[in-house]
Amino acid sequence: MSEFKIGQREVENVNILELKGYLDAHTAPKLEEAFQNLLKSQRFRIVVNCRDLSYISSAGLGVFMAFIEDVRNGKGDIKLTNMSPKVYNVFDLLGFPLLYEIFKDEQEAVTRFFDRAK
Amino acid sequence: MARPRSSPPSSAPVPAEAESAESRFENAALFEFSTVINSSLELPFILSHILLTIMGKILSTRGMVAMAHANGKFTVEMVKGFPQTLRGKSVKIGTVTRTAFEIAALDPRRHAWVKFFREEGVTLVLPLVIAEKTIGVLGFGGRIAKRKLTAREVTYLRSLANISATAIEKAHTINELQRVNRQLDQKIQDLNTLFETGKEFSALLDPERQIRLLELSLLGRFLPTRYLISLRDGPDMKIVASKISGQMPQGELLATLARISAPVRVADIVVTGTVDVREALIGLGMTVVVPIRLQGESRGQILLGEKMSREEFSQTDLEFLSSIGNLAIISLENARLFKEAIEKQKLEDELLIAREIQKGLLPSVLPEIPGFRMSAANISSRQVGGDYYDVLVLPDGRFIIAIGDVSGKGPPAALLMANLQATIRALVPLDLGLSGLTGRVNDLMCENTGGNKFVTFFWGTIDPRTKTLTYVNAGHNYPYLLHDDGSFARLDRGGMILGVMKTAAPYEEAAVLCRGGDTLVLFTDGVSEAMSTRQEEYGEERLEGVLRDAMSGTAQEILDAIHRDVLVHTQGAPQSDDITMMVLKIL
Repeated sequence: MSEFKIGQREVENVNILELKGYLDAHTAPKLEEAFQNLLKSQRFRIVVNCRDLSYISSAGLGVFMAFIEDVRNGKGDIKLTNMSPKVYNVFDLLGFPLLYEIFKDEQEAVTRFFDRAK
Repeated sequence: MARPRSSPPSSAPVPAEAESAESRFENAALFEFSTVINSSLELPFILSHILLTIMGKILSTRGMVAMAHANGKFTVEMVKGFPQTLRGKSVKIGTVTRTAFEIAALDPRRHAWVKFFREEGVTLVLPLVIAEKTIGVLGFGGRIAKRKLTAREVTYLRSLANISATAIEKAHTINELQRVNRQLDQKIQDLNTLFETGKEFSALLDPERQIRLLELSLLGRFLPTRYLISLRDGPDMKIVASKISGQMPQGELLATLARISAPVRVADIVVTGTVDVREALIGLGMTVVVPIRLQGESRGQILLGEKMSREEFSQTDLEFLSSIGNLAIISLENARLFKEAIEKQKLEDELLIAREIQKGLLPSVLPEIPGFRMSAANISSRQVGGDYYDVLVLPDGRFIIAIGDVSGKGPPAALLMANLQATIRALVPLDLGLSGLTGRVNDLMCENTGGNKFVTFFWGTIDPRTKTLTYVNAGHNYPYLLHDDGSFARLDRGGMILGVMKTAAPYEEAAVLCRGGDTLVLFTDGVSEAMSTRQEEYGEERLEGVLRDAMSGTAQEILDAIHRDVLVHTQGAPQSDDITMMVLKIL
């Protein structure tokens, strides 16, 4: 069975989700739950670090789509970082760079929240 | 290679060292040009650089490039100095020489396309040829120097054109390769998605999770601005997931949508019925409709709005949508059937328990009535039923026998039967007489049924000392009092069936005297109305025949004879109703 884990941290008041393993139809509910919890506690500044994400499927991508509006309505954003070329290819293939800011590095994404604030 | 007539050799001789200096300069320029346009795969950049370089070289203020298509037409893709309206225009060009030529020197009667260039103000055309194939043409106009090109200039332009053609072709090929590669990646991604969601769909048995998975997969795959998923729920379509602006579509629209049998772009829908589906869908912001079908039947739809990327939905997209929709519906259907099977099993288990409880309500051991021999049986059909029989011993030495049949079948009938028994047992100790008791039982049953169920009921008090049976028949099948000479009496006195309306007139009470050798037979309509496979009722006439044949036997033998004969009649047909009998033989 595919393995998927989510680590959570906070950096400068930005919530970092670290994805690890396979984000697919089977594991997508875990990410849904993580987003739901963040939204419930009104935490809208989210950086998803994909360093250890080895695979993402359409259902996994769908989770980002399902929450982005609520997050942005809360004056926040979901930013993506540290993707492997393979994972980036999937994001790119389905047109995600149009809608999401994707960074090479987590700190860049975190800083970006404060660029905007200024 | 043919020399173009339009560019005769330059008449002025050029000094040798000047010529070699110019030649060095030209070589360096060509080299730099080649380096620049080969450094990029961006066609607009390459075309732009080609045009600007040549315009600079021949001192022209206008340039354009038209690229060849498979149908022999050339379409203008970039203009500089020419009006922007020229972009996108097409012209069919026959064979052209591979060198530069002036439009003025060509005869429009021989080459129709010459007219096009003349009208647009193109004076010089430079074909882009690679491997004998013209892949495009460069056109220039508004040259400041009106003189003709020198042979040297033409040669130089040809070099530029050759380098340009190679660079364009290379960019084209690589772009095409990347496009195909991407398409392949997309296909792989789609197949992966179908494989993986299919697997997950069937692993999930919760319809809500299955629908959510379908929703997420669509969201991730298409990034739709709007969407709506509806599924059949009984006769209607029900919206199970959506993101739309404005009002949710209503029944009639959903019903009309259900008639769309193949994936279609909203723009291509042909409106036939009274409801303008296309208009309604455009109003909802939807771009494609994909039916979800199972065994040729419409079971739902996926509606998607424009993609956020603004890309059009391709045929591949529609096929993917169709596949994932069908995968989802198969799994949803399986989950539904599975749930149904479990619920049915649960219900059957519960009915089995109910039947056991009901059996427990019937007397397990019949009391001995002095001077009488009694046998009774209740053979239930598959369902719990509403048949009832009972024997009660009264403190004064008399006995009560009772038989009843609650209308209908299943748990409601069984409940009412239990209720009837409890009522009787509670009321019997009251000294009201059989008629008065029947009236009270009827009143209570009326309150309990609300008038939509009824009970046929017969009961009587047996006094063993006098062998008298005092009875009330409330609409029940008339019992038989069979004499040993084969004649019989029917016990038909009493009143209305129980549970329909409150007792207005008292129930009639009647008494019969039983003699030695008589047989008392009580039964429910499970006996008299037992159905054969040919839908024929068993009937009382046949019952009477069996009774006469068997009357010399014991109570149990008579009862068995009736049961056997009923089975012979119904042979093979499932038992539709409870069969209940009481047989009392008077000694």
